[in-house]
Amino acid sequence: MVMILALLATAVATAMRAQGPAPQPTPPEQTVPEQTVPEQTVEVTAERFTFQPSEITVPVGTTLKVVLKSDDTTHGFRIKGEGVNVQIPKRGRGTITATFTPTKAGKYTFECSRICGAGHGFMRGTIVVVEPGSETK
Amino acid sequence: MLALALSAAPTWAQDSDDDHQPSTRLSGYMDFHYNKPERADGRLDFHRFVLLVTHEFSPKIRFVGELELEHAFVEGLEEGGELELEQAYVDFLLSRGFNVRAGMLLLPIGIINERHEPPVYYGVERPFVDTVIVPSTWFEAGAGVHGEVGRGWRYRVYVTTPLNALEFSADEGIRNGRQKGSDANIGRAALTGRAEYVGVRGLTAGVSFWTGKSGFELRPRLDVPVHLIEADARYSRDRLELRGQFAQVAIAHAAELNDAVARTTGINPNIARTLRGAYAETSYRVVEGQRWGDVGVFARYENYDTQFRMPAGTAPILAFDRDAWVLGATYWPEPDIAVKVDYVVARNQSGVVRAPNALNVGLGWWF
Repeated sequence: MVMILALLATAVATAMRAQGPAPQPTPPEQTVPEQTVPEQTVEVTAERFTFQPSEITVPVGTTLKVVLKSDDTTHGFRIKGEGVNVQIPKRGRGTITATFTPTKAGKYTFECSRICGAGHGFMRGTIVVVEPGSETK
Repeated sequence: MLALALSAAPTWAQDSDDDHQPSTRLSGYMDFHYNKPERADGRLDFHRFVLLVTHEFSPKIRFVGELELEHAFVEGLEEGGELELEQAYVDFLLSRGFNVRAGMLLLPIGIINERHEPPVYYGVERPFVDTVIVPSTWFEAGAGVHGEVGRGWRYRVYVTTPLNALEFSADEGIRNGRQKGSDANIGRAALTGRAEYVGVRGLTAGVSFWTGKSGFELRPRLDVPVHLIEADARYSRDRLELRGQFAQVAIAHAAELNDAVARTTGINPNIARTLRGAYAETSYRVVEGQRWGDVGVFARYENYDTQFRMPAGTAPILAFDRDAWVLGATYWPEPDIAVKVDYVVARNQSGVVRAPNALNVGLGWWF
C-alpha cells in the first residue's frame, strides 16, 4: 500500500512539473466600448449539469455580456443559431466572456457545447429578449 | 411521445443553426480503489472504466451512450465484473419546456444517480444511501419527457421497465431487482420522475419518486407495488458545500412476497415493508487556487436501514439497521483528477455481528 501511495505521489508530482507554470486566469476579452449601444453584464456559473442563472432577460439592441466561470470541469457555452460558442475554463482557471447583441425579441436557447458528464444534455438555458422597457424588474 | 417527436422532425430541419456540424465525441471517467476493511486484507479494484459517446445528428436530435466496465473483468455467470450499458438514448429537443428521450435511461433519483463522475463527489465510494436505498447506478430501458419550465424549475418524467421483486433482499433492499434493460419485463411499466429547483445560485434541490409493480416473476403471480420517494439538496458557496438526502422505499404485500420467494428459492429473504435512509455532508476546500492543486475535506453521516419496518410477524435483522461516519479528504491536482482518502466508522444495531470500519483510497478522473 505504501508503495502504491509513493508511486502515486511521484506520478502526480512529475505530472505537475511537466505541466510547467500554472495556467493564469484568462483575462476578460477586450472590446472597444460602443457608446451608443447599451450593455448588460450577467455572471453565469456552470457546473454539472446546470447553468446558474439559466434564464437571462435582456432588451432588444442591448449588448449582453455573459461572464462565465466553471465550478468543476470544462464546459461550453453556445447560443444556438447565433454563432456564439465559447469554452468555459475549468474551476480556478478564470472566466471567459461571451458577447451577444440580439436584434429581435424572442427566446434564444443556450447550452453546454462540450460533453461534461452523464447529464450533459440537461445543461441548457434561455435568453429572453424583450422590447425595451418591458423587461421584468 | 416518440411519434410526436418524429412528426416534428421536418420543422427542425428548417432551423437555422449555422454553427452546428454533426459530430461524434468521446469522453469518460475512471475509478481506481484500494479498500481495506477492518480485520481483513486490503483489495485493489479498478472499480469503473466508463466511456461516453455522444453524437449530434442535428441541433435537436442527439445520441448519448455510456458503457461501463465494472471491476475490470467480466466472465460469464461470474459476479466479479459487469459490462453495463448505463445510458443509450436519443434526445429529441423540441423546446425548452418539453423534450422527449428514449432508450436506456439513468433514473432521475437522488444526488448521485445522474451526477456520479468521481471528481464531483467526496468519498472513495458513493454514499451508502445511494447504494442500498437508492440503488445507483439505477438505469432502465424506457422513454420520457424532460424540460425546464422557468424560474429555475425543471422536471423529468420517464416510463421504464420495473424492478423484479424476486431479487429483493434483506441487506441490499431493492438493489438487485434492477432489470437494467436486459430483455426486461415490461408487463406493467414503472413511472419515475423528478422536480428540481436550480433558481438560487449555488443551490440544487429536488424531489423524486418511483412507482411500479414488481411481482411479475413470482408464481403464482403476485402484485408487489413498490413506491420510492426521495428529497435532496446541494448548496455550495465559495469553498463550502453542504449536501443532504432522504429516501424511503415502501414495498406492499411484503409478507406475501417473502412467502412467495421462499416457495421459489427455498429461502425466506426477510424483505422489509419499509426501507429508509438519509445522509448529511459538509465539505470545505481548505486549499484552493494553488499551483499544485486544491484540497478539500469532508464529513458525512449516514443512517440507513433496509429493515426499517417489517411485515407483521417478521422480526428485523438488526445488522441491517446501520449508520456510518465517513471522514476524508480529496486532492485535485487539476479539476478533473481526484485523489481521495477516507475512513468509514460503521455501526449497526446488532449485538452479534459487528460492522467493520474501513480505510479507502481512490483515484478518479474525468476526460
